[in-house]
Amino acid sequence: MDSAPTSLDPVRASTLYANQLVVNLYDTLYAYKYLQRPYKLRPNLAAAMPKISPDGLTYSIPVKKGVYFADDPAFPGGKGRELTAGDFVYSLKRHFDPSTRPGGAWLWQGRIVGLDEWKQAGSDYSQEVPGLRAIDSHLVQLTLQRPYPQLVDTLALGFSGVVPREAVEYYGREFSINPVGSGPFRLVSYDSSRAVLVPQENYRREPVDLEYEGYDPVTQSRYGVALIDGRIPPFVDRLEVNFIKEGSARWSSFTKSNEIQYAGLPNEQVERVLASIDPVTLKPEYAEKYHMKTALEAGFVYSTFNMDFPEFGYNDNPERARRNHALRCAMIRGFDWESRNESWYSGIGEVFPGIIPPVVPEFDPGLARDSVTYDPEGARALLAEHGWNAESLPVLTYGTTPGPTSRLFFEQFRAWMMRIGYPKDKIILKTYATFGDIVKAWRNSELPFISKGWGLDYPDAENTLQLFYGPNASPGSNDGNYRNPEYDELYRRAGVMLPSPERTELYRRMNQMMIDDCVAITGLSRVGITLWHRNVIALPDRNFVGGRFMYYVDVLEPGAPELEALR
Amino acid sequence: MEVLQYIVRKLIAGIPLVLGVTLISFVLIVYFGPDKTYELLGKNPTAEEIAEIRSQLGYDQPFTTRYLDYLREVIRLEFGNSESTDEKVSSILARTIPTSLALAIPGFILGNLLGVMLALVAAYFRGYWIDKFIMGFAAVGMSISFLIAIIGFQILLSSSDGLDLLPVRGWDTSTPLQYIRYVTVPTLATVFVALGYNTRFYRAVIVEEMTRDHVRTARAFGVPPAQLFYRNILKNSMIPIVTRIMFSIPVIVISGSLLLESYFGIPGVGKVTYDAIVTGDQPILKAVVVLTAVLFVVAQLLADICYRIVDPRVSLK
Amino acid sequence: MSARADTVGAHGDSLWSKAFRKFRHDRVGMWSLAVVLAYAIVALGVVLGVWATDWAEVSGPKWSPASVEYWFGTNIIGQDIFARSLYSTRTAFEVGLLVALGATALGALLGAIAGFFSGTWIDELIIWVMGVLDSVPFILLVAAIAYTLQGSPWAMHIAMISTFWIGTARLIRGEVIKLKSLEYVEAAQAIGVNRLMIIFRHILPNTFHILLVQATLSFVAAIKSEVILSFLGLGVKDGMSWGLMISESTFEVLAGFFNNFLAASVLMFGLVMAFNMFSDALQDALDPRTVK
Repeated sequence: MDSAPTSLDPVRASTLYANQLVVNLYDTLYAYKYLQRPYKLRPNLAAAMPKISPDGLTYSIPVKKGVYFADDPAFPGGKGRELTAGDFVYSLKRHFDPSTRPGGAWLWQGRIVGLDEWKQAGSDYSQEVPGLRAIDSHLVQLTLQRPYPQLVDTLALGFSGVVPREAVEYYGREFSINPVGSGPFRLVSYDSSRAVLVPQENYRREPVDLEYEGYDPVTQSRYGVALIDGRIPPFVDRLEVNFIKEGSARWSSFTKSNEIQYAGLPNEQVERVLASIDPVTLKPEYAEKYHMKTALEAGFVYSTFNMDFPEFGYNDNPERARRNHALRCAMIRGFDWESRNESWYSGIGEVFPGIIPPVVPEFDPGLARDSVTYDPEGARALLAEHGWNAESLPVLTYGTTPGPTSRLFFEQFRAWMMRIGYPKDKIILKTYATFGDIVKAWRNSELPFISKGWGLDYPDAENTLQLFYGPNASPGSNDGNYRNPEYDELYRRAGVMLPSPERTELYRRMNQMMIDDCVAITGLSRVGITLWHRNVIALPDRNFVGGRFMYYVDVLEPGAPELEALR
Repeated sequence: MEVLQYIVRKLIAGIPLVLGVTLISFVLIVYFGPDKTYELLGKNPTAEEIAEIRSQLGYDQPFTTRYLDYLREVIRLEFGNSESTDEKVSSILARTIPTSLALAIPGFILGNLLGVMLALVAAYFRGYWIDKFIMGFAAVGMSISFLIAIIGFQILLSSSDGLDLLPVRGWDTSTPLQYIRYVTVPTLATVFVALGYNTRFYRAVIVEEMTRDHVRTARAFGVPPAQLFYRNILKNSMIPIVTRIMFSIPVIVISGSLLLESYFGIPGVGKVTYDAIVTGDQPILKAVVVLTAVLFVVAQLLADICYRIVDPRVSLK
Repeated sequence: MSARADTVGAHGDSLWSKAFRKFRHDRVGMWSLAVVLAYAIVALGVVLGVWATDWAEVSGPKWSPASVEYWFGTNIIGQDIFARSLYSTRTAFEVGLLVALGATALGALLGAIAGFFSGTWIDELIIWVMGVLDSVPFILLVAAIAYTLQGSPWAMHIAMISTFWIGTARLIRGEVIKLKSLEYVEAAQAIGVNRLMIIFRHILPNTFHILLVQATLSFVAAIKSEVILSFLGLGVKDGMSWGLMISESTFEVLAGFFNNFLAASVLMFGLVMAFNMFSDALQDALDPRTVK
């Protein structure tokens, strides 16, 4: 992994890295099927999919019986006790208790009956929340204020991992580094460079049913995953997760020894390792040793104008507002996505127009690509047509965090803008000391232009469309402060709909609106190339399955007969 | 008894220094430093949540309250938990300081030992080509940035474009062999850069001693060169040498390895400190700053005591 | 030490003329001065816009090797590394000169004040500040100052000045304590000449040879620190510098692309080495013990 998670407490599992470990240490009610694509949910800790009332407001979720937490001194006698519906209720409530510094409350805010009021009243765990109840020891009932089709998806996130109250109280603040859960693994050691996990003795024994997990022999048989069918995971005796920030170091550690068995291919090594980029193929000497898979990220990078800045965005003067629109459109046309992809993503990233990324089912491959087609002449013409020149163009402050990569992103952007006629000294770099500081500037609407990435929490475009939803404006995640009543209305309408062609239609209309308004320069979904040693039986996935693939990983002796059969 | 009194007096005299360090660092790092709030927040925060986190972190308290709290923590030597990982600051330091020492000590010892040796040779052959050669080498070492030395050695020894013998980065002390594999490149870079400065400094000190009157007199009276070297020159040079070494200790314990650790990803106290700077993890910074200041006071004290051991004529007054 | 006293008063001029003569005969010194001047011309050319005007433009392909068109190749986004190296020379001089001037001036001022008022609370206070600043680890202090002055392009300069002055101040303080016991100073004080006047008119000019050497040392230290601070993300903000080039190169060298690293480190080595030797020669020339 490329970075160390700061906390292993599910309420703080905000990062991809934390999430990967948390889902292995804790149980979630639901999970995505290991092999099926597009992603499909299945019960995990829950005994079945929820029973939903006809009005879509009440969810009844049965919890599996006989699930035990890992043994830990936090429990009386050191023996892990049985997990009950009450534990889930407790765990979700913790997101509404400010003292835990939770990161996931926004997923359920204003959704579950009585939960926000519970927080207002001081987060007293002895108080019941009407919409979040344990009916009996193994039945959870959730009541919503209005339909929330993505609810079950949120219950598959690391955020909703189930924790035992005893351990939270026993370890106090250090609970974050002393995880006690009912997941398939437990933690042996953990620091900023490595986490070591071993199988958790009390974990339920469930054989793998490949067909149920969505096994597709045509595309997946070469990875050998068929070998785990019918066996009881976890298969490995010890799981070591190394946190190595520098891609090149990760790579050399991967190729030099057998220490790291699975790693992403760093950008700067691509030319050395790949025989061809399209399609992605390994050079024979690497193909001999490693399995390779390309994976589209569940997210994308984009830049948005901050519409609250009158120089670029909304302006009370309708004439200026119209010129600002032309200015934004010109800058979008002057942005060379192809080169960005070439320089930083080895040319294998997927550039797409709008904010519905290719990873979600609502993606429209037929959408016009004008907004991502580099056209400096068109941009210059558009600027001239609306009376923009070196004199009248407004100063643009570009915020970054320190580091060579983000600096070069800026230099590249500035060079493109210079090509469409922007004077060099009108694009100003502002460096923020820490990532937290730049986020602060975004949240407080201090920057006219924001470049960032978004990782999806669940495979539904609702999760990206909310980035431009008016009520989510600063300090929410709508950093561009885009406010379009029509868009907002569609968003609200789609928000209570189950997946359907009608809903997809609404999503696409919203997408088109923000493209037409020239709000953002978007976007690119990165494609990661993952390699793993041939003796490792796995199908890694960093997206929604997250770290859960590790549960199914098996490592054979190099040269074992089963492996030879795969060649 | 006299020594004990002296030590106590010195330590008390160090208090204004420690107070000054805490005040300056508090103002700079804690009061104006990075704001942790926004790193702890979820993806879609409300204004209310922002206020909650700020109050959790104590940012809403007035300046004096926060500074007094800090002093109280200093007195109790209890800095609480890291704001990032929630781990106790004391256990973070207990884990990372030994790593930093294991990383820094080989380079530190080699750099000083080789420095003294080369300086002796250069001083002994002062003006000859061997002196010029050594001093030229020292000038080269001094002119190369530490970072360039690190990257250079890394390319040379660890990359597939070089000899490809050693790991590119990381840290492992499970076996002595592993330790040597990981510590070599950082040590070479340290020695290469430190050697230039050390050799020059030590040579200057030794030359100064060699040209003193009593040494010249002794030489004139036919005292054997070897004896002269050990008895008079080396012994008298020890005071500046010891001072220099003593004062480098706080630096290598806390910050000296910062660059090495962040470049090679070694989980030592330098990296922890740097991460704390860039994430605004104040409890760790507070502890590190106080620790360095206290170490400086102690180093000063030890240097004084060492003078006395080296040269009994120096009195502890 | 009595030789130092010769530098004062009527014999003061002879120190400088002797030093100048001595320096002229120092071959290494003259050569290193020539190299430094050559770098200075490059830097001046950048300031005047004679060359390296296109350092910010993206013109070539990714990681192109050295060629007739791109003498040092191009970087990951296709910028000309040669132009960027030249531009960085200007940055090096800017950082080096500003820090050397600032740190030396501040050190001279505070050192002289502390020395002149030695034994009083003013001296104690300045010594205390120096002790405190010395006890905070350098990088921590720089980082803290850089963060405090967030976004300011001068944060790095100020941070370096605020630590580099200490060495100069210590030397000047010692020198001033010695000088002020000299007769003419005491005489001036006795007839009621303003104290500040004494410091600036009579004492400081006599420490000029120390200041000159200290300034050259600060210049070198500033250039070297810039590299490390830029690598840590605390250095040059807008613009280009050798430190930024080297920090760019950290993810390139392991991919087998060395142009950024080589260009920056060789150019930087040349300047620092020349400056170090220049500083040595200067020190030799100005050392009254060797002025015969």
